[in-house]
Amino acid sequence: MSRTKIKKHSSSVWMILPLYFFTLVFVAGPLIYMVALSFAQPGSGSAVEWNLTLENYKKILDPVYLQTFRESFQLALTSTVIICILGYPFGYFMAKMSESWKKKAMLLLMLPFWINSLIRLYGWIIILQNRGILNHVLKTLGIIDKPLKLLYSYPAIVVGMVYVLLPFMILSVYSSAEKLDWSLVEAARDLGAGKIKAFWTVSFKLTLPGLLSGVILTFIPSMGLFFIADILGGNKIVLVGSLIQEQMTRGSNWPFAAALAVVLMILTSLMIGLYRKITNVKELEGIG
Amino acid sequence: MKKNSKFSSLYMGIIFFLMYLPVAVVIIFSFNESKLPVRFTGFSLKWYQELLGDSAMIEALGNSLILGVASCLVSAVIGTLGAVGLSRIHWKTKGAMEYISILPLMIPEIILGMVLMAFFYLLNIPFGMLTLLLGHTVFCVPYILMEVKARLAGMDPSLEEAARDLGAGSFRAFRDITLPLIMPAVVSGSLLAFAMSMDDVVISIFVNGPRISTLPVKVYTQLKTGVTPEINALCTLMLAFTIGVLAVYYLAGRLLKGKNRLFSIKKK
Amino acid sequence: MKKSIVIALCAALLVTASAVPVSADSEKELVLFTWENMFPQEVLDGFEKETGIKIVYSNFDTDETMFEKLSMAKGGDYDIVIADDYIIENVVQEGLAEKLDQSKLTGFENINPLYQGQFYDPDNEYTIPYGAGIPLIVYDPEMVDIEIKGYADLWDPSLEDSIALVANYRVINGITNLMLGKSMNEEDVESIKETGEKLLELAPNVRLIQDDNTQNALLNGEASVGFLYTSQVTAALAEYPELEVVYPEEGLGFGIMGMFIPSQAPNKEAAYQFMDYILQPEVAAQCTDFIGYYSTNKAAEDLVNPDLVVPDSVKKGEIVQNVSAEAEEQYNKNWTEFKAACD
Repeated sequence: MSRTKIKKHSSSVWMILPLYFFTLVFVAGPLIYMVALSFAQPGSGSAVEWNLTLENYKKILDPVYLQTFRESFQLALTSTVIICILGYPFGYFMAKMSESWKKKAMLLLMLPFWINSLIRLYGWIIILQNRGILNHVLKTLGIIDKPLKLLYSYPAIVVGMVYVLLPFMILSVYSSAEKLDWSLVEAARDLGAGKIKAFWTVSFKLTLPGLLSGVILTFIPSMGLFFIADILGGNKIVLVGSLIQEQMTRGSNWPFAAALAVVLMILTSLMIGLYRKITNVKELEGIG
Repeated sequence: MKKNSKFSSLYMGIIFFLMYLPVAVVIIFSFNESKLPVRFTGFSLKWYQELLGDSAMIEALGNSLILGVASCLVSAVIGTLGAVGLSRIHWKTKGAMEYISILPLMIPEIILGMVLMAFFYLLNIPFGMLTLLLGHTVFCVPYILMEVKARLAGMDPSLEEAARDLGAGSFRAFRDITLPLIMPAVVSGSLLAFAMSMDDVVISIFVNGPRISTLPVKVYTQLKTGVTPEINALCTLMLAFTIGVLAVYYLAGRLLKGKNRLFSIKKK
Repeated sequence: MKKSIVIALCAALLVTASAVPVSADSEKELVLFTWENMFPQEVLDGFEKETGIKIVYSNFDTDETMFEKLSMAKGGDYDIVIADDYIIENVVQEGLAEKLDQSKLTGFENINPLYQGQFYDPDNEYTIPYGAGIPLIVYDPEMVDIEIKGYADLWDPSLEDSIALVANYRVINGITNLMLGKSMNEEDVESIKETGEKLLELAPNVRLIQDDNTQNALLNGEASVGFLYTSQVTAALAEYPELEVVYPEEGLGFGIMGMFIPSQAPNKEAAYQFMDYILQPEVAAQCTDFIGYYSTNKAAEDLVNPDLVVPDSVKKGEIVQNVSAEAEEQYNKNWTEFKAACD
């Protein structure tokens, strides 16, 4: 038995070699450079002086920048929660569709990706603006008499975030719900479990890994997607992403930008670790 | 049980409606006379005309498609094999490896792009399609890895073990048993990866060479003077083309199926 | 079977690697590096036809990306670059720009001297100006009750939640400096802190801060006052000519886009030919009309859209220059605090 196990493992090694190689060279390499950069000093222009220093990290403790981190997290959390609420049922329902409808739904989900996300966000401006479609509809329906100021507000940013990231959640939930053994759910119901209980004890538990990867795929990018706050929020909320962007460009302070990125990376990892712990999906993961 | 209620259809319908609302706006404004996406001033085809005369834009679209497919393929191979491999191997480094490989998602693009550029210079890789491919693969792998991993979670390993016990090699067991089971995840991960690659601007700008450009790069570097509706026209054409191809495929499929059905009825 | 995957991978790599067009004849090519849409197609076509040199149009999004790519390439790879003033100063300092041989440029005297001898190139050795911008206040007289004459009016309480600002922190800090009677490039950190406090008072009036397509907010009624870049002012006026344009009385901020040849440009001859071509008044006029920036070519002024000739009353403006690291940091902090206060 133990011999076959060893054989099994060694014969699977070839599968992870590409990942190991690629990750070590093209991901870890640049990242090490980034971390090193965060300990350097900004020189004149965008040049960098390699005197090791902790100055960049100390600077982050300034209340102005701390607030930036707090707001980014708040926004990312809000968006992720809404995306879960909207996306989970969608992915779940989609998995329950017939084969041919599944294909159609998948296509419908992916088609908008032909259009650059920025251009689609400009579409939202047209919809939400003062003299836009939504205000027009609400006015004709007699719900409001003065146009609402919808754009350049917090809700507008959340709409944009949800819009851009929803497909990631849907697809993650879908691909893990798709393998659900529906007869299990049925069995639970036959055994007297209510619809909700059957869903909770069987379906939800089994689709949790999909939800987890969906959360990761939406929470992480929502920390960095500052262009939504820029286009739909009028830049009035300062997110870490835009702070980094500004430091890299007009500020030309790369070491500080790198330090911000390192802190962002660590905080995001912590959040995800915490989330994993709460949902406790570790036991469900991996076959081995 | 495996049926959707009216409620779920309605729900999906509403979400799809909201998803396509801005898309409709993009299409409508591709026919707008004015350069600015503010109000509809009149019907015009001038942006389509301009697009047809813009060979650089079309070349950039071609580059984007090649790059999207290539980086999606390469990362699908790396990501899928990696996810399956990670689930089987008990190396101590495996957790760390998985973590590092999804790190590119956590780093703002501008900084990732910059360090990738510096790194490629360090390795002396000539800038062009190859660096673009490598750069895109860096952020595409995590999508596929994550999707496949979620699918693998809780999957019954006994099937593949059985196949191996019957003498199938690891590759055959993978191809014949595991791969078909995880295919939906591979597909959805690849689609996401493709979409991300088609949408990427910042990293592409850093890692492209002087002679190569992608569609998003062409579009976003217009920002200095304002993006023109030419891009709306291009997107509309791409949508129309995709829908056209799908419609033909679907109709042809139905026609063939219909024939078969006729045939089988006769046989009965 | 394992092999087939490896082969497929290698094939994919090879195909993409070979898709890189190998420049067969760099003698006949000119690599132009700037933002997209900086030249009308006719001008590029005209140059190709006149000289037989093919233009390869390569783009960047920000000046800093350009600087980084150019320094990585050690001043090679690109033949002509067009970028903003302050970054050119860095380019010149790093020795990445070629000293121009003016004997090769017949149209050099066409340049409007107003845009010459600036801080980034005091002796006009490296650059020729391509276009100039002056951020201006534009407002919709129907929606604004007061008459706006200068920056100070932006602080007027009647403008609550109605101003659209460009997202350039040095420019916005700069106009606050001008309003307080200081230089746009104030270096004293204490004084910059004061500027920041004044800037915070502007926050309630701000509807949005955006760098791209800022004029749209003015046109769709989201904002009634805009502080916009020149190309945006031009675009807004083209759509809605009733808008009022203000040359603020406190003084103007200038920006100049300059054209230079990188020090190791592969095809310098072609680069000179291109500069010479762009300096022809007719061509310069075409370019100016297309990009909507102010004309920098004296000889072209009769040919361009009259809106794009700087009025004679404007004799001098201040250009945002690079400042010391400490000052830079304080400007940055002012800006972040200001944006956070706008919410």
